[in-house]
Amino acid sequence: MDARTLAALAAVLFLVQFPHIFHLPVWVSILGCTLIGLRLWHHYRPDIKLLRLVLSPITVTLIAASTAILLRFDFGYSFGRDPSVAFLFVLVAAKFAEIRRASDATLLLCLAAFLLLTQYFYSQTILAAIFTLPAIVALAFALSILRDSKNPAKNTQQVKLVSKLLLHGLPLAALLFFIFPRLPGPLWSLPEDAMATTGLSDSMSPGSIGSLSQSAAVAFRVEFDGEPPRANQLYWRGPVLTEFDGRNWNTSKSAVETLPQHLPDMGDLVSYTVMLQPHKQRWLFALDAAMSLPQSDSTNIDGQAIHTSTRLLGRLMGDGQLIANKPVSHVLRYRQSSVLSDKMASSKAPADNTLYLPGKNPRTIEFARKLRSSSTSDLDYAQKVLRNFNRDLFRYTLQPQILGDAPVDEFLFQTKAGFCEHYAAAFVVLMRAADIPARVVTGYLGGEMNGDYMIVRQADAHAWAEAYIGGVWQRFDPTGYVAPSRVEQGLSAALPNETAVPGLARYDSGWLRSAQLRWDAMNHHWQRLVVNFDNDSQDKFWDRLGLLNPSLVQLMLIVIALSLAWSMFILGMPSVSNRNLSPNEKLWNRLCRLLHSYHFTRLRNESASEFLQRAALRWPTQKERLIRLDKDFTALRFHRPNNDLPTVARKHIQKEIVLLGCGLSVSRFHRMLRRQPKAGSIDSTSKA
Amino acid sequence: MNQPATAGVTPLDTVPSALLIDAINQLESVLMGKREQIVMAVACLLGRGHLLIEDVPGVGKTTLAHALGATLGLDWTRVQFTSDLLPADVVGVSIFNTQDNSFHFQRGPVFTSIMLADEINRAPPRAQSALLEAMEERQVTVDGATYPLNDEFFVIATQNPTDQLGAFPLPESQLDRFLVGLEIGYPDAVSERALLEQGDKRNKASHLKAILNERELRRLRHYCEDVHLSGPVLDYIQTLLNTTRTSGAGLSPRAGLNLVRLSKAYAVIAQRDHVLPEDVRAVFPALAGHRLTGQVKSGHKLAREILEQVVMP
Repeated sequence: MDARTLAALAAVLFLVQFPHIFHLPVWVSILGCTLIGLRLWHHYRPDIKLLRLVLSPITVTLIAASTAILLRFDFGYSFGRDPSVAFLFVLVAAKFAEIRRASDATLLLCLAAFLLLTQYFYSQTILAAIFTLPAIVALAFALSILRDSKNPAKNTQQVKLVSKLLLHGLPLAALLFFIFPRLPGPLWSLPEDAMATTGLSDSMSPGSIGSLSQSAAVAFRVEFDGEPPRANQLYWRGPVLTEFDGRNWNTSKSAVETLPQHLPDMGDLVSYTVMLQPHKQRWLFALDAAMSLPQSDSTNIDGQAIHTSTRLLGRLMGDGQLIANKPVSHVLRYRQSSVLSDKMASSKAPADNTLYLPGKNPRTIEFARKLRSSSTSDLDYAQKVLRNFNRDLFRYTLQPQILGDAPVDEFLFQTKAGFCEHYAAAFVVLMRAADIPARVVTGYLGGEMNGDYMIVRQADAHAWAEAYIGGVWQRFDPTGYVAPSRVEQGLSAALPNETAVPGLARYDSGWLRSAQLRWDAMNHHWQRLVVNFDNDSQDKFWDRLGLLNPSLVQLMLIVIALSLAWSMFILGMPSVSNRNLSPNEKLWNRLCRLLHSYHFTRLRNESASEFLQRAALRWPTQKERLIRLDKDFTALRFHRPNNDLPTVARKHIQKEIVLLGCGLSVSRFHRMLRRQPKAGSIDSTSKA
Repeated sequence: MNQPATAGVTPLDTVPSALLIDAINQLESVLMGKREQIVMAVACLLGRGHLLIEDVPGVGKTTLAHALGATLGLDWTRVQFTSDLLPADVVGVSIFNTQDNSFHFQRGPVFTSIMLADEINRAPPRAQSALLEAMEERQVTVDGATYPLNDEFFVIATQNPTDQLGAFPLPESQLDRFLVGLEIGYPDAVSERALLEQGDKRNKASHLKAILNERELRRLRHYCEDVHLSGPVLDYIQTLLNTTRTSGAGLSPRAGLNLVRLSKAYAVIAQRDHVLPEDVRAVFPALAGHRLTGQVKSGHKLAREILEQVVMP
């Protein structure tokens, strides 16, 4: 194994391992990198006995085996994405540590290629794709020098060659991307890991949504079929929290499945497509109130529905929540339609748990009873409670004080400062205290249009309340009475003086923000067009071409035919376009083309200097520059070679040619100006 | 304006050609209006070749040879070739010395630096080939003994156009031995008038001041070998050779080597340390003319046609 191959392999491994370092346990990363470092050290100091011992096949095997056991303990389970990737990570490094022969290296490259792919288990963004590009080039480079290790070509040349080959292969890869048969459903059917969830959770305690407001991460993106609704109607319903233990709110375990129900006085139907970022939970988001079940996206880019295959992705629960069939572990795209309404029909009377009120909030209960007795109806009571939030000196803040044993009492009568979950929780407690069934709804409020789609971020997370009044669930948003701008304009408008709001949720940070929005738009389209290109999209693709689901044989024929055509094109190309010219000749040709564009062509047996001297006679204003060019070209082509001369001189000549081009066009312009008045006089003399 | 592009060029004063320019100027004062031919003759000398001058009598062939010999400061001899000339008259003869009963080699006129072979095509072929062998080998073998010639040995042969009576044309194979074939041609009107006014220059030619000497000449010749010949110019030379071959009588590789030598010498006279394509173009007719057709005059015309066909680099 020579030094060059070894270095190339080490470079490949580094590039392949690098993206993984961010999510692996630290000790795994360190172990992997150390093994590689030791092997390189061993190459330069083969006399150190200890190193030889450590890198012997037996020791390395022992290291790999013990890593497997350690991983089992670290993760708590052995079959899943994370431990497997970590094990592969160490295995690749271990293989490198004991590498001896060229066949070992080939195996190592295969492993590295697989490890490279595993990073898509974690992220499928554009950035992830860009990260893999250098690794792919390095892989190909390592393969090329492995094939012919005595290849005398310089590294840069070899990299160039390999990159060219990869570029040649690109159209074929794109072709296969489009027509290779896909599995229905997500590509990675991985055993579920106990992965950290993001975004909203199925429980709420004071401060939980406030902490979410610090995150600029995207929760989901939405494309509306028509005009997007107004900001104060964008209530994206998420987990509904009915169980209360005196401090925390939880989802009800006993919700039953139902179907969307239509109320007579509801508004228009809004249809949209949601692209939900994976949050490892089961709920889906929809505008209140959902009128359909989430379906797989079956419209093509023009918005025309094709009734080939739609699948139901989830179901609607009795409390208005949409629940997916399985946890959302990859970006999920679904069609949804809703009617914008603050009322939600209910087929059944509310369950008991919507009235359950544990804990000790005595002042609150007393206050509720007093207020209820002075109100005419439940609705009147609710309005009074809301007005109370408005009138009394409540503040909306991301940094409320920490509440003790009777959180609602403390909040309502002492601190009077809180975030949306405080208000929603307090409202629901006040309702229940007056025997009105009520529940907390969490989700997102608002969203930001970016071009033709809307971004909803974690910072838009919100909590509001619903009370069962008059046979329907009526939405109440107490936050709207404390800080109306939160509902109308978003978080940053409601919290102008607090710096904790993430930059992206603010509306005013100029070019940086617009650049970030553009980047988000790119990611969105990447997600939509590339990552989500699945079975359905493929069917649409064939549909557009007028071929309905070609058979495997037909596919193979198409691939072979197009590949052949492309190869022939590539093989035929060099003779057409890429003549091997020296840089000097290219420069000279450039100058000739420039002069040729002024109808000044070199004669067959005219030497370069004669040509330029003739040009100097034709353009006296450029004489000096042309003579300089002549001198420089002569020096470059005919003088005794000098090491650093050519590059310097070539740059100089390039500059001169550009200046010459400018000078010539200026003088042409002058001549045109002068010719205009002259044209008449020439005419008159010829007549005379 | 700084000139990074010319940084690698040897400054002109290191090219030892100032003396050459003086020499050429002095020669021109004798052979007026014929600078081109003079330069070519000097280039031929620097390129270690031999010079063939072909023209009608009386245009200054012998004058040029005289002036060259005098200006270069070399010893020179002259042999008038006639139809009864024998090889021994050129190379020398072994004579029996009765006093010590042995043969002594009597050196002929070739043992010199510059030899003027006047009207070479009037001599019979035997005498011609004796000279041509000496030119090529730079040594003479008589009766089994080999005698080296002078290191600077340089032959200026003149010949009348072969369509005149009483001439033995040189075979083409032997013409190849001459590096340069020149025709002098009639002087132009101004020069001729000056000539008529000043009278015959031949006397003056033999009294010219010697500007160069043997050492200087050797140094210059050595310098010529070091002149840089870049890739594009080599390509050009090769294309030229190839074109002559496709258009009938071709040039030999030896002619190609000679073309390189002559181009380098020409570049030195032009005070450069590198060959330009223009140098090659300038010397090509003189080099190729007599080789292509066996006659200088028609050969020059053909050579110029070939130059027209080949694209300059």
